[in-house]
Amino acid sequence: MNAATPDAGVATAPASWPIRLEHVTVTYPNGTTALRDVSLEIAAGEMVSIVGLSGSGKSTLIRTINGLVPATSGTVTVGPHTVTGLRGRRLRRLRGHIGMIFQGFNLAERVDVYRNVLVGRFAHSPTIRTLTGIPTAHDRELALRTLDSVGMLDKLWARAGALSGGQKQRVAIARALAQEPSVMLADEPVASLDPPTAHAVMHELERINAEQGLTVLVNLHLMDLARQYTTRMIGIRAGEIVHDGPANEATDADFERIYGRSIQPHDRLGTAT
Amino acid sequence: MTLRLTAREAGLELPRHPSRVGPTIATVVVGALVVLSAADLDIDWAELGAIPGELARYAGLMFAPPSWEKLPRALFEMWRSISMAWLGAMLCVVLSIPLGMLAARNVAPAWIRLPLRGLFAVIRAVPEVIIALVLLTVTGLTPFTGALALGIAGIGTQGKWVYETIESAHEGSAEAVRAAGGGIAEVTRWALWPASAPALMSFALYRFEINIRTSAVLGLVGAGGIGSMLSNYTNFRQWDTVGMLLIVVVVITMIIDAISGALRRRIREGAKARGLGRTP
Amino acid sequence: MPQGAPPRPRTWWRTSLIVLAVAAFTVATCIPAIGGVELDFAAIAKNWRFGAEKIGQLMQPDWTFLPRTIEPMLETLQMALVSAVAAAIVSIPLTLWAARPTNPNGVTRRLVRGVINVIRAVPDLVYATVLVAVIGVGALPGLFTLFLFNLGIVVKLVSEAIDSADHAYLEAGRAAGGTQTQLNRLTALPQSMPLYANQWLYALELNVRVSAILGIVGAGGIGRLLDERRGFYAYDDVGLIILEILVVVIVIEVASNLLRRRLV
Repeated sequence: MNAATPDAGVATAPASWPIRLEHVTVTYPNGTTALRDVSLEIAAGEMVSIVGLSGSGKSTLIRTINGLVPATSGTVTVGPHTVTGLRGRRLRRLRGHIGMIFQGFNLAERVDVYRNVLVGRFAHSPTIRTLTGIPTAHDRELALRTLDSVGMLDKLWARAGALSGGQKQRVAIARALAQEPSVMLADEPVASLDPPTAHAVMHELERINAEQGLTVLVNLHLMDLARQYTTRMIGIRAGEIVHDGPANEATDADFERIYGRSIQPHDRLGTAT
Repeated sequence: MTLRLTAREAGLELPRHPSRVGPTIATVVVGALVVLSAADLDIDWAELGAIPGELARYAGLMFAPPSWEKLPRALFEMWRSISMAWLGAMLCVVLSIPLGMLAARNVAPAWIRLPLRGLFAVIRAVPEVIIALVLLTVTGLTPFTGALALGIAGIGTQGKWVYETIESAHEGSAEAVRAAGGGIAEVTRWALWPASAPALMSFALYRFEINIRTSAVLGLVGAGGIGSMLSNYTNFRQWDTVGMLLIVVVVITMIIDAISGALRRRIREGAKARGLGRTP
Repeated sequence: MPQGAPPRPRTWWRTSLIVLAVAAFTVATCIPAIGGVELDFAAIAKNWRFGAEKIGQLMQPDWTFLPRTIEPMLETLQMALVSAVAAAIVSIPLTLWAARPTNPNGVTRRLVRGVINVIRAVPDLVYATVLVAVIGVGALPGLFTLFLFNLGIVVKLVSEAIDSADHAYLEAGRAAGGTQTQLNRLTALPQSMPLYANQWLYALELNVRVSAILGIVGAGGIGRLLDERRGFYAYDDVGLIILEILVVVIVIEVASNLLRRRLV
């Protein structure tokens, strides 16, 4: 992977934003309560991991931040904007400032890498441009630069479906970076990747946080990744926060409390490169 | 913060775009064919503009208001068409499933498979009216002939769908049966059939939906049913009755489509839950 | 059953209910008094020879008739192509409006689906018959008929395929702040292209078969010649025409199979 120098590589990001949840509860239409009265504050520029088992509520939590899941009660604030209650164009505009990557990469497999990255410019370019498929010069630059910064420029015209998992996730990171976001959300970004690739992707997120000062929030279910790459760790279990502290001070006992059971071998990732 | 550098200035090395020549040529060729075909057709393109007005006028004659006088007879004839469709579908399904299975690559050897596939292709190419024509000499100009025609004509497409479904059945279960020592019959009965059954049932219902329409067509050429009524009243230009007949056909076809569609959706969901892959 | 084994699920009553319903429906379709079909197996036993004889006549095509079939056949192919392409173009936005992932707005979606269902509910030859009476004999009613016929099939089948496919990439597009139109145009549409291409080719195949018949009611194409020859009991000519249709259909089928493999 090429590490771009700050001034000739990726544009320095707009000011990164803090995230705040106040007494947020999320109950789905089928009755399950995924989050119970969750409050937390993340400062701008922090790299935070949210650790918990599947079903603990971390997917729901991260999605309340960009409104993919509406909060049933409580307030979610990102930077100067209140997310809860936003709809339509205002919500889309806000989402344009929040980058997100997913466990399943969520790329359009039949579409080339270039156009997949341009998806990140949806909220920032006029509709006529996206409808005709001709991006502005600015959008084009951004797409190329972010791809270069994650080392995937040589795959510019490859179909997204032809890439490996690690490559897809890097393209997804480029897509998110192309938004010039103020916050980066990552929902289990490495759960589908093998250990060396997982470390590479986590390292990429760490680099973005360090070089651009971008606020990064990562959902993880593996303890050693949280300890190694993030500065603050929040543990969630059954929709409630059960732990919040510096990541490198987290003990195995803390993890057992978060998981609600004793630690097993598959909770650790394995050797890094 | 905006970037003003072009890629060249910033020294980014862009890979070349894969050649667009092929698809462009193909599009131009198809486009040219279409334009030439349209021009060659014996159509007065200038008259095209007057068409919407004419259609609107006739729509008025048909539907404002339609004549409900002959409704009982229309319903009687509609049931006749539905009956032809149903019996035809049953006949078609009963014949096409075994024949289709024998035409599948994973069931039968080439010397059985290829003639069967050829037979399907021939039947597919022959219009139903011709099949009805041949059957006419055997069973006369009756709805029974219509049902038989639908049954036989459908084998062409239905058989193709059957062997395509069987061939795309997941290899895993067939391998398991073979590993346990099963021959082709066992593989078919215990691996291919359960995997394909939801799709085949779905196709059978779809065949019924198609037949409803085709039976109206056969009616137009004399086999009875709502089609013959439509043909008569159109020829006599009694538009208000034609309007009523169209409404009857549309409403009843849509009801049957809805019921059949709901059934097929349930079958598809059941298949999905059991992990059986694509079902129509 | 061995001890501790769970009891066998009792679905036999549901299966027998289905079988009963099917049987009852079938019986109802065989009652001539309410409009059912009168089964006449005796006629088959008695007259099957006539059918076999007719088939024999059809299988001896009259090759000298070939030149007269070329122009009508060409008209059939042209109608098939032009209407397939026109319907393909119109089907793109209509399909996206009719499918859930690409059109979350329930009202417009149901409206489009409703219109398409009405269009599909009218059999092809019925359109042709009525349109011939309205517009007059020729290729134009045939074009319209095939256009509507194709549209109904393509929109219905492709929108159903879109509904049942996975569209995880849409979540990423939404998270980036895209509108539904942007998502559709730049991600959903390219992703769905194989589904479209599949059905467009299928529609083209169907068109050739159907347009052969449309001529019977005067909507252009080789059907008119077919009906005329049938009227003169010239079954050798009819056989030749059927053979031609067969050849054309097989060629298109093979070509579309090749194309399908390349496009996916």
